[in-house]
Amino acid sequence: MTMVQGSTDQYGTRVGGDEPGTTAAARAVGLTKVYGSGEAQVRALDGVTVEFGRGEFTAIMGPSGSGKSTLMHCLAGLDTPTSGLVAIGGTDIGRLGDKRLTRLRRDKIGFIFQGFNLIPTLNAIENITLPLALAGRPPDQAWIDLVVQAVGLGTRLRHRPSELSGGQQQRVAVARALASRPEIIFADEPTGNLDSRTGAEILEFMRHAVTDLGQSIVMVTHDPVAAGYAERIVFLADGHVVDEMTAPTAARVLDRLKKFGE
Amino acid sequence: MFRMTLQQLASRKLRLVTTSIAVLLGVAFMAGTLVLTDTIGRTYDALFADVNRGTDAYVRSDSALATSTTSEQRARLDASLVDTVAHTDGVAAAEGSITAYAQLVGPDGHAIGNPDLGAPTYGGNWLLDDRLNPFDLVAGRAPVADREVVIDKGTAEDAGFAVGDAARILTTSGVQDVAIVGIATFGDADNPAGSSYALFTADAAQRYLSAPGKVDAIKVVAADGVSDDDLVARLSSVVPEHVEVLTGAQITAEDLRVAKQGLGFFTTFLLVFAAIALFVGSFIIYNSFSILVAQRSKEMALLRAIGASRRQVLGAVLVEAVAVGAVASTAGLFVGIGVAWLLRALLPGLDIDVPGGGLAITSRTVVVAIVVGLVVTVASALLPARKASKVAPIAALRDVALDVSGRSVRRLVAGVGVTTVGVAVMAAGLFADAGLALVGLGAAVIFVGVAVLGPVLARPVSRLLGWPLPRLKGMAGTLARENAMRNPKRTSATAAALMIGVALVAFISILASSTKDSIDASLEGSFTGDLVVDSGSLGFGGLSPELARRLNELPEVADAAGLRTTSAEVGGSGTLVLGADLARMADVFDFDVRRGSLADLGPTQIGVLETRAEVDGLDVGDVVPVRFSETGVHELTVGAIYGADPLGAAYLLGLGAYEANVADQFDARVFVNLAPGVDAGVARAAITTLTDDYPVAEVQDRAEFMAAQTAQVDQLLNLIYVLLALAVLIAVLGIANTLALSIFERTRELGLLRAVGMTRRQVRSTVRWESVIIALFGTGLGLVIGIGFARAIVKALNDAALTGQGLGVFTIPVTTLGVVVVIAAIAGVAAAVLPARRAAGLDILDAIATS
Repeated sequence: MTMVQGSTDQYGTRVGGDEPGTTAAARAVGLTKVYGSGEAQVRALDGVTVEFGRGEFTAIMGPSGSGKSTLMHCLAGLDTPTSGLVAIGGTDIGRLGDKRLTRLRRDKIGFIFQGFNLIPTLNAIENITLPLALAGRPPDQAWIDLVVQAVGLGTRLRHRPSELSGGQQQRVAVARALASRPEIIFADEPTGNLDSRTGAEILEFMRHAVTDLGQSIVMVTHDPVAAGYAERIVFLADGHVVDEMTAPTAARVLDRLKKFGE
Repeated sequence: MFRMTLQQLASRKLRLVTTSIAVLLGVAFMAGTLVLTDTIGRTYDALFADVNRGTDAYVRSDSALATSTTSEQRARLDASLVDTVAHTDGVAAAEGSITAYAQLVGPDGHAIGNPDLGAPTYGGNWLLDDRLNPFDLVAGRAPVADREVVIDKGTAEDAGFAVGDAARILTTSGVQDVAIVGIATFGDADNPAGSSYALFTADAAQRYLSAPGKVDAIKVVAADGVSDDDLVARLSSVVPEHVEVLTGAQITAEDLRVAKQGLGFFTTFLLVFAAIALFVGSFIIYNSFSILVAQRSKEMALLRAIGASRRQVLGAVLVEAVAVGAVASTAGLFVGIGVAWLLRALLPGLDIDVPGGGLAITSRTVVVAIVVGLVVTVASALLPARKASKVAPIAALRDVALDVSGRSVRRLVAGVGVTTVGVAVMAAGLFADAGLALVGLGAAVIFVGVAVLGPVLARPVSRLLGWPLPRLKGMAGTLARENAMRNPKRTSATAAALMIGVALVAFISILASSTKDSIDASLEGSFTGDLVVDSGSLGFGGLSPELARRLNELPEVADAAGLRTTSAEVGGSGTLVLGADLARMADVFDFDVRRGSLADLGPTQIGVLETRAEVDGLDVGDVVPVRFSETGVHELTVGAIYGADPLGAAYLLGLGAYEANVADQFDARVFVNLAPGVDAGVARAAITTLTDDYPVAEVQDRAEFMAAQTAQVDQLLNLIYVLLALAVLIAVLGIANTLALSIFERTRELGLLRAVGMTRRQVRSTVRWESVIIALFGTGLGLVIGIGFARAIVKALNDAALTGQGLGVFTIPVTTLGVVVVIAAIAGVAAAVLPARRAAGLDILDAIATS
């Protein structure tokens, strides 16, 4: 299926223009998510409005229960907000059914999870091209070569996940997220299961994907060092955006986080 | 520990249900058969005890003959003996009893009943003494005049006869016109075990049914104060040689045995299929428990790490097995009672009359059903349980262990070993003539052996079967293939259940097609006539020889030769013996004479089928002792050895010998050769006009005759297919169960796939195609085994000539087996429906969050 550019697209309603630079890669407007009802009601997100720019590496931080994971899940179309609007590129995903939402995730969103990122029965290169294979689209070989080279897996492309180290597995996951050149990549604690040196390699590579390959990444993390690799940090607390920080360093992030404890 | 196991069970109700169904179905089938047998047995016991209550002694000839295919034949007694018995001291009353072939013709002109396939149709005499007569009039009166009969209520209702109706009856003396003057019940039943009865006066019965001055038996009432044993002793001293005297209890027991015999075959048949169902079920239970144990290995390792003993872990799994077995067996017992009720409703369709009354649920049935269900479940769970207890605590830290059973040399050796033992056992059963049970045991061992080998085959075969999938179904197809290959043990154990069902279907269908083609081939070569008049009966009733005589008088007919059958004892065992006018027969049927001459076989000569003669080492000029029920032992000389036979009988007599030794003269079939130049249609019309006088006669041309010979095979085949469908159904449930458990295990993986863009449709497709691969893997194994079994049996039949003739042809019914493969693939799709739906419906967030 070819992507239709212009006034309509395959996912339905348009919210804004499609030209790069004019729209955010993803944005949320007045996003609210309520779990449960009555006494047990929890407002995980309470009117969050936030934008994630194209070609930007953003981190979302906040204490446990701040709603950062919920925000990411809603942005990625994995969870349905109670109210508010979510747009990926120019598409309002709130109105999409499961089928279109699935296609949107496949074509326009990349995912990197904390662990269990790969299909154990597929080898590294098959895992990398999985979203394309699911779409039945031939991969853009030049791009895939570029990504694979950048990830530096070299001779291990034919290995199954069980034959790769944790760091190598996570690199494959990043490459997979990049493979379809998505509108935006969501990463959920991508280095949570790795030692600091391997984690640093992954984060370096993610930054490289943004600066050199022009990708957009949103990363949920609680690790100030990891967040230090981002260009911008959005702080969440009790379901609200409480602060932002640009050009962060690990030290500044740590300082900021200490305030949550007060 | 025990409480924890029960809590886990309670939290996994659904899994319990799916695992239980396999046990449940097998137990239900078995319990249903037992309940039915008991129910019928109980009513028969009561019925026969009741109707024979007044008979204290029973006098008959001691010369009896029976073969596996015909009912017992016994020589008759002189009617004068009735007087002798009646005047013996201690006898209060005695009456001659006649029981012979007689078949009513219905108002539609067709003979009622089919004594060759269904229950016998009898004629007899109405006994005047109430104490001796088992029948009770419910309408009309007893017969007093020559052509008056009382008929049983069951037949009257089936055919729509009422008191006062005129009817025709086929008898050994030809067709008789009679008036129905009464209708009677057999105790509480409408008739004895489905047999029909037409009862004449004693004189008429002798004239039309047996022979003047002959009765079949004498029923005796003892005088007051004379015990049955005493009576038998007194009678034994007055009766001549070759006449025996039985007590009332003995003859009741014998009647009962005969009545239950047809049913016995039926119940054995059903129990065999119940055993197959349980055998298939045991594979599924084994598989379910293996998967459950694999999935819980971390939990068990944790238990071991915190101090649980191996015994306790083993015990925990076994308690779960006992719980599953107990629940499933109990449910199976109840479903079985429903099955019995259903079967009882079906029985009249098979010409087995079942008297009313409640179902007999004996404590034996309850105990057997529960014990068998429990034993099968626990035994099947034992291996997985042992494995569970061996889980090293360190496993808690590892991911799910890799399944490398596909590369295990030990497994390969063990599998080949077990299979070889199975083949040896089966061969012993087949070729060393050690019995059918051994053949079945060998088959079961072979199934187990191949199941052991399964994991070695599962990966390469799944790879091969799934080869087109990536091309056809893209990533969904690739994943389906990989999933089928990733747990060779699981794939193979799941497929093994289907393998058994398919192997049996393939085996039966090959055997049937080989039988049919062999019949066709032998008739094709030897039957040279144009038409056949068939009575549909082999040895019990048939066509009056008058028909062949009249056919020969027709200008359209060149030759008409009747073929008669009887039972005789040759070389000590009862067998079917043919009789024919061999001079005429030679024109319509080529017996393929090898040595000697059939055409002039004399009254003291016999022809022997070549294969039989080889087994017995007989040749022309040898003497064979043959015992006939009517005339006793005769030394017959082998006059000819022939190669082709028309009815599956190994011995042939000329008319001279046949008529001299057999009481009732009936042609089972008349083969007809038309006169040259006669139009077939015209000739057939002329012959049909003639056969209208013979209600059992059916005119068939060559093609119709051949088709009719093989139709019975088809009928039996269909019944077997229906029963094997149960085994296949259980196997399909097994596939569904495995898939459901696998999907539970792959929750995270599925969540990931959905997150990165797999559509629900693609998820369903993946599960569905994995299922199809498993189904086809099992089908492939089953076909190979089934073809092997069939080849072995056909060879054994030919080598030993177990029946008079072997199967000359081995045919693989390609179309039928093709249909089996298609059905298996569809079954695979069907098995995947629910698991696929569940997989596609997974909540992505929940799935990802599960760790």
